[in-house]
Amino acid sequence: MKISRRDVLIGGAASLAAVSACARAQQSNEIVIGALYPLSGANAAGGVDARHTLETAADVINTSMDLDLPLAKSAGLAGLGGAKVTVLYADHQSDPQKGRAEAERLITQKRVAALIGAYQSSVAASVSQTAERYAIPFMAAEVSSPSLHRRGLKFFFRAAAHDEMFSKAMFDFFDLLRKKGKKIETLSLFHEDTIFGTDSAMTQIKLAGERGYKITADIKYRANSPSLTAEVQQLKAAHADVLMPSSYTTDGILLVKTMAELGYKPQAIVAQAAGFSEDSLYGAVGDKVEGLISRSSFSLDLAAKRPSVGKVNELFKARSGKDLNDYTSREFMALLILADGIDRAKSTDGDKIRQALAATNLPGERTIMPWKQVKFDETGQNNDADPVLLQYVKGKFVTIFPVQAAVAEPIWPMNPATPGKMGQTAS
Amino acid sequence: MTAETILQSLLSGLLTGLMYALIAVGLSLIFGLMDVVNFAHGEFLMAAMYATLGLTLVLAIDPILSAPLIAALMFAFGALVYAGIIRFAMRARTNVGMVQIFSTFGLAILMRGLAQFFFTPDYRSIQHAWTSGRTFSVGGVYLPLPQIVGALVSAAAFGGLFLLIKRTDFGKALEATREDAGAVALVGINRNRVFMLGWGLGSALVGLAGAVMAMFFYIYPDVGASFALIAYVTVALGGFGSVFGALAAGVIVGLVEAITAMLVPPSLKSVGIYAVYLAVVFFRPRGLFGSM
Amino acid sequence: MRTPSFARRRGASITWAAVIAAVIALLPLFVTDVYTQNILVLTLMFAALSQSWNILSGYCGQISLGHALYFGLGAYVSTILFTKFGIIPWIGMVAGGALSASIALALGYPCFRLRGHYFTIATVVIAETGYLLFLNWDWVGAALGIQIPIRRDSWLLFQFPRDKIPYFYFALALACATWLVTWIFEDSKWGYCWRAVKDNPEAAESLGVVVFHSKMAAAAVSALFTSIAGSFYAQFVGYIDPESVMAFQFSLLMALPAVLGGIGTLWGPALGALILIPLNELVRSYLGGSGAGIDLIIYGLLIIMISLARPEGLVSLFTRRKLPALTG
Repeated sequence: MKISRRDVLIGGAASLAAVSACARAQQSNEIVIGALYPLSGANAAGGVDARHTLETAADVINTSMDLDLPLAKSAGLAGLGGAKVTVLYADHQSDPQKGRAEAERLITQKRVAALIGAYQSSVAASVSQTAERYAIPFMAAEVSSPSLHRRGLKFFFRAAAHDEMFSKAMFDFFDLLRKKGKKIETLSLFHEDTIFGTDSAMTQIKLAGERGYKITADIKYRANSPSLTAEVQQLKAAHADVLMPSSYTTDGILLVKTMAELGYKPQAIVAQAAGFSEDSLYGAVGDKVEGLISRSSFSLDLAAKRPSVGKVNELFKARSGKDLNDYTSREFMALLILADGIDRAKSTDGDKIRQALAATNLPGERTIMPWKQVKFDETGQNNDADPVLLQYVKGKFVTIFPVQAAVAEPIWPMNPATPGKMGQTAS
Repeated sequence: MTAETILQSLLSGLLTGLMYALIAVGLSLIFGLMDVVNFAHGEFLMAAMYATLGLTLVLAIDPILSAPLIAALMFAFGALVYAGIIRFAMRARTNVGMVQIFSTFGLAILMRGLAQFFFTPDYRSIQHAWTSGRTFSVGGVYLPLPQIVGALVSAAAFGGLFLLIKRTDFGKALEATREDAGAVALVGINRNRVFMLGWGLGSALVGLAGAVMAMFFYIYPDVGASFALIAYVTVALGGFGSVFGALAAGVIVGLVEAITAMLVPPSLKSVGIYAVYLAVVFFRPRGLFGSM
Repeated sequence: MRTPSFARRRGASITWAAVIAAVIALLPLFVTDVYTQNILVLTLMFAALSQSWNILSGYCGQISLGHALYFGLGAYVSTILFTKFGIIPWIGMVAGGALSASIALALGYPCFRLRGHYFTIATVVIAETGYLLFLNWDWVGAALGIQIPIRRDSWLLFQFPRDKIPYFYFALALACATWLVTWIFEDSKWGYCWRAVKDNPEAAESLGVVVFHSKMAAAAVSALFTSIAGSFYAQFVGYIDPESVMAFQFSLLMALPAVLGGIGTLWGPALGALILIPLNELVRSYLGGSGAGIDLIIYGLLIIMISLARPEGLVSLFTRRKLPALTG
């Protein structure tokens, strides 16, 4: 097959022309929201899950369901004449520049009313800047970097918690256990070296210092390392009371396997979710982490008290084959809250939606989350998005903290204390 | 840092290094034979891992037993890739090397896309292999069974490869073609056939590595990327085209990685490997045992 | 040795270049869609990047897959000087360029004794080392990266929150500059030297010192322009982190347009960028939303097909005969 020079020139010109000409006419009874996620590359699993979640949420909005959630009971957005919500998905491939390009495309060509995303904080930073410039609201669904809401953006909103809130929950839990007489003095941190791990470790080190816990090892490792033997050895040598990993799924699986291979059974593991909230990790190494504790935004136990939780979980499971977890639950609520803002604004004008969102006042019972309420402060952050701690017991997650949400007492320690050398001092 | 810790690090590094060697040797073979960089080498590893997972799920064969079968499948796959893509890429009159890089780069992207399409990006594992979760403890030093098996397979593969190259006609044809691809036609060796079989052999070796790794590593479409860079550095360190070089370099890389992690924050452990590579080629510009 | 036909061809190519540049310069009048403008800016930037890569790797034959190091250095130097010391990016660009060129020279000393793939792997590991160092260096933000405060339109601060046109013209200027430098090199002492080295490295050994100096010159020039593009990119995107400006993927992306278009040729990189970059962007945008990997499948297939259909590079479509070897 020979490509001629004409083919090349025609092809190049045609693609550029096609792009310029592309601008879909906006249907009047449709509200379009742009979703930016990594849909290919190393983080595609998270992006694909997000797609399932947002489709589920769009269903809840667009069809009439008997659930005590915003926009569930009506079909579509009543404030805009029953308009249906359509989500357009764009792949940012974990690159902030591509995220920006896709955001611009969605805003200028597809005329989206709002943006939602983005799984990675670096891309969310870039996309939210773009949204700000075009006066389009951006709802941060599950990105947790504490710096995101502190950049003075007016169109940035985050209904879920950020890393400082998550880590605070973990340390509140430690304080509670200490008061009950459990021995928790030393911690070892195990975190990957990208934004997530770095942010997480920073907040944990700060809180440990403030609350009097000693860090005997601060192991920063290269994400997606082929081998973690050396790192786990150092954790083992540090012999801390609690191991606190901040890892994605791949590293989480490797960490657990390597710990088992090297005969390291920490007394307790309290994880910063991420990989430790994913089905695939427990599918791979669940038998080795009985009793592991992870922070989470979501607690399936809540279904016993709140029917909407169970029903939404069923809807999601039908699409994805998995239960809702820390990530997907946040994404689900994010779309609902965003659409609710648009509904109350009764308009697709960016400023009006922004005002409506800023006025959000949603009681926690009307969400699927263990949150107190949804109310955005002047930086766009919801400070009442209370996290929970879950413990992995016999194949299920059991809520053990805070006390109001707990359905069981925590099993502590996860593994019996082994006699060993005291850890080295923190580096 | 106790003697026990150091010994554990070194032994783990050795086992890991033997795996790196096995992953790298296929690449080195193809390099040496026809001066081609297979940019899709990591994806070949990924394909082998998925194939192993598939066989385990569908036929309930343990990865140890299916390893030879995977090697055979990958042999066929490699030969096919040569016949379907590389052979045409080598027809370029100029920039032959770069064109091969480009076409194998395209192949790498294609394979990742296909993997994502067929298997979704979810992470998978083989739960109940015979070796799963078993580990020997000797005097406080832990040696996990999957890694031991991996090291043994690697050693056996290298042994077999030496025999193949030194003792068989095919091996001699391989060497001859490597030395002077232009002249071999004069002695009746079909160059194309040797290249195709060479690709097959190189792919079979990385197939073995994939089958072994599927026993203890997670599997997803991008898994090859983490190993590709180490494979290339290992091959270059040992010397392109040198089978023994791949073995020696793999072991060195594994050990250096383990030692570096003891001395600097683990997130920088690869820098040790890179420093060693640069130091070696400064004194031996063709790697440790390279002759090209 | 300059034959009359050679001189004529050189005159023709620079005339063509001027015409094409003028036509491109008029594009913003017709292209008002922001997304398309973005693609144009990226295409021009990669044309410039690939052309400067081409100087070292195409003409000089030392294939580098570690150029992301210079790109990243350019981005970081100008950004740090701006965010921490208030120095305008134009000066930062020059500083970054000077630093990158110096590092290229310093690395050239030990590295140019390496040949072929050994050299390439050396460039890869050096770039990876740089990447890891920046990823772990808190003062430059480590993994968190650096955000550039872009508040208002300003040529002095080289920042434009919404307008892509100024970036477009800068990228065009950079692409023209790198093209011009290549054009000058082609008919220079260095250029002849490189061709000699590429055609017959052993015979060129007798040129000894001259070869070495020519490679150093190529490396420095190549690093300089790559670095400037990096500073440009930082101002264009407004946020940098090691992953987005120093990772191996970027080194690869700089080389591919030249390989596709025709390595070691004057027009190859630009032609390659014209095809590859819009293709990459459009396939991702219009086919990537499903998460099923369709965009990767299509992109991969296209790359394979193009590389097989035209192994010498697309520029061979436009040359009537092979460029003559100027050494005789």
